[in-house]
Amino acid sequence: MHLHRLEKIWLTIGIGMLAVFLIVLGTMAFSMGIQPPSGHRHTIDPTKVSETAPFDTPGFTSIGDHHYEAVMVAYAFGYDPMTYEVEAGSTVDFAVTSSDVVHGFSIVGTNVNMMIEPGEISHIRHTFDKPGTYLILCNEYCGTGHEYMKTTLVVK
Amino acid sequence: MSGTQQQLHTKQETPVKKSDEPALKGTFVSVLLLGAFIAVSWIGVFVLFIVRN
Repeated sequence: MHLHRLEKIWLTIGIGMLAVFLIVLGTMAFSMGIQPPSGHRHTIDPTKVSETAPFDTPGFTSIGDHHYEAVMVAYAFGYDPMTYEVEAGSTVDFAVTSSDVVHGFSIVGTNVNMMIEPGEISHIRHTFDKPGTYLILCNEYCGTGHEYMKTTLVVK
Repeated sequence: MSGTQQQLHTKQETPVKKSDEPALKGTFVSVLLLGAFIAVSWIGVFVLFIVRN
């Protein structure tokens, strides 16, 4: 197959860019554990969320020094528990599921942004270094009250 | 006479040769601009991700 000299150059650049993107992505996925939040294959019966541990008692639990586990339930149109406070520098392991439809879980200004699907438990870890009030909102359209679905996390 | 004929002949041949190899300079620049846009967007999103992590 005959290729023009310029075609060879741009094909090399294109394939090179793709290789760089995939190497960076692969390195981060395997060495830093950056994987999709729902990729852990933890499932739950979505009709029995309120009876299934640990989602029968949603809340923040201290599991170490400046380390919390946040068990949360997303529902139309809010999050359970409603309010929480942690100290600055705390690492929070979020485990979130939905008791009805697909919701979003996005903490504005951070990399925490995941889909909450009924039947799946989404996990994500974040360290809150800066004090402030963090807005948590739903970014998956979930019904008529979608725009009111939000909560806040206070970092002192 | 024969010299003029030769000249004409050469003049006619040149464009025929060019059309064999298409002119891809403009396409090349467009492809590079698109590639630069993709690279800059990707790097921008990646840096934002790293800074927020």
